[in-house]
Amino acid sequence: MAIRYVRKSAQLEGRVTVEEAEGLSEWLKKHPKSTVNLGKCEHVHAAVLQVLMALRPAVKDLPGDRWLAVALAGLARA
Amino acid sequence: MNQAEILDQFVLEARECLETIGKRLLDVERQPDDKELLNDLFRQVHTLKGNCGLFEFKSLEHLVHAGEDVLDRVRHGSLAYNDQIADALLEAMDYTTQLIDEIETHGGLPAELDARSKALAQQLRSHLSEPSAAAPAVPQAVAVAAPRWPDWVSKLPAELRSRAGVAVRYRPEPECFFKGEDPWNLAHSTPGLIHLAVEPVAPWPAADAFDCYRCNLEMVLISDAPRAYVEEHFRYVPEQIEVLELEAAAVAVAAAPPAEAAAPAAVSALDRVTRPTIVRIWLDQRAVLARPGVSAGTVLSVRTSFAHLLTCWADAASTAAALQALQALPPGATPLAAWAQQYAPTAEAAVARGGVTNVSPPEQRLGAGVPTSAPAFAATPAPASESEGGAERTQRVLKVSQDKIDRLMSLIGEMVVAKNALPYLAVRAEEVFQQRELSREIKAQYSVINRIAEDMQHAIMQVRMLPVGTIFQRFARLVRDISKKLGKDVQLVIEGEETEADKNVIESLADPLIHIVRNSLDHGIETPDKRRAAGKPAHGTIRITARQESDRVILEIKDDGAGVNTDRVRAKAVERGLIPQDRAATLSEADAVQLVFLPGFSTADTISDLSGRGVGMDVVRSAVERVNGLVELSSVSGQGTTIRLSLPLSMAVTNVMMIEVAGRCFGVPMDLIVETVRVHAEDIHSFKQAQTTVLRGRIVPLRALHDLLALDAQPQANEEGELAVLVARLGNENVGLVVDNFHGTSDIILKPLEGVLAGLTGFAGTALMGDGSVLMILNPKELT
Repeated sequence: MAIRYVRKSAQLEGRVTVEEAEGLSEWLKKHPKSTVNLGKCEHVHAAVLQVLMALRPAVKDLPGDRWLAVALAGLARA
Repeated sequence: MNQAEILDQFVLEARECLETIGKRLLDVERQPDDKELLNDLFRQVHTLKGNCGLFEFKSLEHLVHAGEDVLDRVRHGSLAYNDQIADALLEAMDYTTQLIDEIETHGGLPAELDARSKALAQQLRSHLSEPSAAAPAVPQAVAVAAPRWPDWVSKLPAELRSRAGVAVRYRPEPECFFKGEDPWNLAHSTPGLIHLAVEPVAPWPAADAFDCYRCNLEMVLISDAPRAYVEEHFRYVPEQIEVLELEAAAVAVAAAPPAEAAAPAAVSALDRVTRPTIVRIWLDQRAVLARPGVSAGTVLSVRTSFAHLLTCWADAASTAAALQALQALPPGATPLAAWAQQYAPTAEAAVARGGVTNVSPPEQRLGAGVPTSAPAFAATPAPASESEGGAERTQRVLKVSQDKIDRLMSLIGEMVVAKNALPYLAVRAEEVFQQRELSREIKAQYSVINRIAEDMQHAIMQVRMLPVGTIFQRFARLVRDISKKLGKDVQLVIEGEETEADKNVIESLADPLIHIVRNSLDHGIETPDKRRAAGKPAHGTIRITARQESDRVILEIKDDGAGVNTDRVRAKAVERGLIPQDRAATLSEADAVQLVFLPGFSTADTISDLSGRGVGMDVVRSAVERVNGLVELSSVSGQGTTIRLSLPLSMAVTNVMMIEVAGRCFGVPMDLIVETVRVHAEDIHSFKQAQTTVLRGRIVPLRALHDLLALDAQPQANEEGELAVLVARLGNENVGLVVDNFHGTSDIILKPLEGVLAGLTGFAGTALMGDGSVLMILNPKELT
């Protein structure tokens, strides 16, 4: 699993694949006030990316990847 | 495996795919709601597309890809399957078949075929009504014809807009995730990426309505790689991208150079982009080689990839040695892997020269092994993984050319003959050399070899067995097209398509069957109006049934049409001088129907497109009889016609009974023999020339084989005054052949008469016996 769900935040790590988009989507819908930590994230699948863009969770650390960071720059910082 | 063999393999597999596709297309037309069928159809088209990618057959790939897209939309329910789509797909499929033929004969595709395949692809795509698919179909035109920048370009930051480069808007289709695509990864890995922004196409819906597997992303990116590279990168989604070349002239005004532009001046922009990619592909290819059980085809394509990569490195001095070593390499995966390691371009080299450190690990694969994104290089890497899948398949199913099987079969045939020499040897050992013990041992050995030979024969038969369904497949299409043309409503029902028979038998049947089905369509089934008037359902039914009855395959083609018009048949037969008038009038209904089998018979007054070209039922009959089959036709006026074909399962080995006539041995095929009896001379009744006897209450005409073969001898009776009579079935009646003696049966390989003997009637062929003698095989049908 490239996503670890801890109490109030989801940790996205390494390469997050398409299979995890739904889980993340459900989790974010259930916990609307939670945050995501992308600090250790290398790559997200487009489906995961659009989950983040659509559900707009607060972001703790932006990912190292430059373009991904740009794409998610619009999200609130936690 | 060399290139030509791979091409052959491709043609073979493509044909198989097309066959299934053709079948599925018709199935789907009948049951458009069946998801399974659609999925299977889509899979086949997808496989075909993947195979096309192995070679540089652009026109073929475009067409198949267009078909795949249409089917994908249909599969996901966003496009309703209708007649127009079916026609377009069928037409495209026909053309694909043509292209494959072209490839098979010439090994490539001439450029002039491109136009037609483009037109067909366009026609297919016109069904994809969604604007995102239709609009950017001709990206070049957009770039040239629109001096004003489209909206999406105007939104770009001004300093990027004024740089030289290629701007791409990539709008993945909503269902792309189900195809295993990762649009973000694809955009992200664009060569020479200098800007990438992602936005929703439509505003995001409320959280509850949001579907994370429906892609709502639009990406705009700028790359400083050559346009061709960028287009190559997006080659699998050409209809989803819009490409625009930003004015190079604007560079002069450009102010802020982007962060990554700090490359050493010595290295060209091109190298900066390509070299890290080359390194990555190199690693990918090595990973492919390292997999267990790499097929020869994969090794070859990997090898080609390496050669291409070296050429692309664009530094002749350093690659010349590697290229030479590659050319001198023996075939096989291991030497190639060693070579790839030895000459691997290092990431450091790429970085030192290029300054880009984006050497990512080999792409992650998703789901069923579909690449999540297309690697940014020539068409080779992705097909490598496709052919990998193909290799796994071929390990389970072995494709062998028929020549090899035939050779194996004739060898086994010789083996059977050779084995038959052993009993003779045993007899000699006993009689000539008085070695009873040895004789017994030879016989024991013979029985062992005999068993093995029989098993071998059986096994090779199984290999040659094909389901009858393989020839039925084309009928669905035939019936569809012809019934449309004739304005008839015809339903084709096929039963028992899994029944198996020898490949030769099946293949020899294809043409006669087509003729029969055409006849049924043309003459049998009436137009809907006539059918309604006759109180029948408006749509006619042609039912083809196949089943096995002991060692024969029975095929029945039954239509519920008007039946054979016997008056017309009689009149035509007389008109064409096939039978005299008075005889025609006295024929029974059932016999009159059989007149259609006369050579030269045709009821058609004008030669239509469909039938009446003089290729009549007699051709059907002779084709079927050539493989030892029988044709029967029965017809009930107003209710339909039934044609029954009975065929042997296999014709490789014939079981014959040996008989003796006037001191000579002849063989008679066992399947014609009803029984062998000894009839006392007193029980034979003579009436004028004809002799008959009564067997189980039935009169059986007797013919002496001596007379039929013009041998100067009389039938020999045994001590009890009985004559040997072989009762054979000829057509529908039994005939007794009087012979001198019966010998045992034997399995023989029947060799047809050749050369000057080919015209000899009365004989089916010859066979070589175990003792080296030649046995003539009689054909009683031609004798009597």
